[in-house]
Amino acid sequence: MREKLPQKKDEEIAYLVQSGEIESFGILVERYEEKIRRYARKFLADHEDINDVLQDIFLKAYKNIKSFDRKRKFSTWLYRITHNELINALKKKKKFLPLFDFDVFLPSLLWDRTLEQNIDRGEMTQIIDKCLDKLEPKYREPIVLYYFENLSYQEIAEILEIPVSTVGIRTKRAKERMKKICQKLKYKL
Amino acid sequence: MRESLNNQKLLREKVFEKIKSGQIAMRPKFYFALKTLLISGIIFLVVLLMAFLVSFISFHLRASGIWYLTAFGWQGLGVYLRLLPWFLIILSIVLILLLEILARRFSFVWRRPLFYSLLAIILIAVVGGFVIEKSSLHPQLFWQAREGKLLLMGPMYREFGMPRFRDVHRGVVEEVTENGFKIRTFDEQLLTVVLVREPRFPLEKEIKQGDSVVVMGARQNDTVRAFGIRKVDDEFRAFESRPARRPIR
Repeated sequence: MREKLPQKKDEEIAYLVQSGEIESFGILVERYEEKIRRYARKFLADHEDINDVLQDIFLKAYKNIKSFDRKRKFSTWLYRITHNELINALKKKKKFLPLFDFDVFLPSLLWDRTLEQNIDRGEMTQIIDKCLDKLEPKYREPIVLYYFENLSYQEIAEILEIPVSTVGIRTKRAKERMKKICQKLKYKL
Repeated sequence: MRESLNNQKLLREKVFEKIKSGQIAMRPKFYFALKTLLISGIIFLVVLLMAFLVSFISFHLRASGIWYLTAFGWQGLGVYLRLLPWFLIILSIVLILLLEILARRFSFVWRRPLFYSLLAIILIAVVGGFVIEKSSLHPQLFWQAREGKLLLMGPMYREFGMPRFRDVHRGVVEEVTENGFKIRTFDEQLLTVVLVREPRFPLEKEIKQGDSVVVMGARQNDTVRAFGIRKVDDEFRAFESRPARRPIR
């Protein structure tokens, strides 16, 4: 049974856990630990903090696994938990997080869909990585999810629970801010 | 690579240690169903409260006569802004924002820009408020409050005709006099209205006994020196009599 599990989809394994096969949860931890750790590293610097957050994320995922809808993607659901835990961790560190975001108010007026197609992910990823820590968490998040985790705008919208057009706006603004940051650091964007 | 494998093993072990020791337990499905039901229930109650508040503000403005002050030019507008129930308006805005926060837990809300959901909530508040205002709820509560039967919301309704409205007076014309008329207010006071300058309504032709009017002007004892008079539509007169005495349309 355990040997066949690695071939199964995340959603199928999550269903097994929901049904009481607790041991299968280990496969999901193994599959996602590195991705989530890489993602958390973009927001937290301290190694111990990252380990603590990681443990909290997987414990929370286990605790709430019965709320996971198998028709949706497991990765998106897990990243949503990660997003919430990272926000909590940043709040504990007293990092400024805005209460209200005008980008969600009427974003479709500002979003140009063609921008999404014109971005070369591979080339951008290397440059962005060097300037990323200077960017505010609000803008850093969609950039990391898009360039480093290779998620689509739709998936990012699901994780952040914001309209797709807001993801587009934030990515566009993040790119503009990155341009300024990278110019200061002498990287070309 | 080795460090990564060690980390993975460590994390997996730590997670399972907590699971197996019973420190972390899986929440049952009904917990999430109950949570959704609870949030939906709270949303429903907030919607009701918000619609009630909006309808009460509208009723309050009409019943006290404040609503009609904008017809009296800049001076009327100034008094109108001063007498608006700001506390209730701010409370309504707070409820609208609370409803927006609660509703954004649902994907059909957060998938759309905040502007649309906010617009929908305001629309629900206005339509709900309009429906409640058209019912006999407020006139009934108004009379219950006046008879001292309404404990919790009594002060809200009893406020009409209180001294803070010294610039605006609403009542029914009892007698037309040579230089004005006499009105009976909600709190059974008889006020003599004296015209100090040409009012917006020709007195002899328009104002007659039994008319419901709003008078704007400073009060001195029982005399009001009016500089503006406005007849009130019958549509908003239901609360002037006890529902039992006069059928409410």
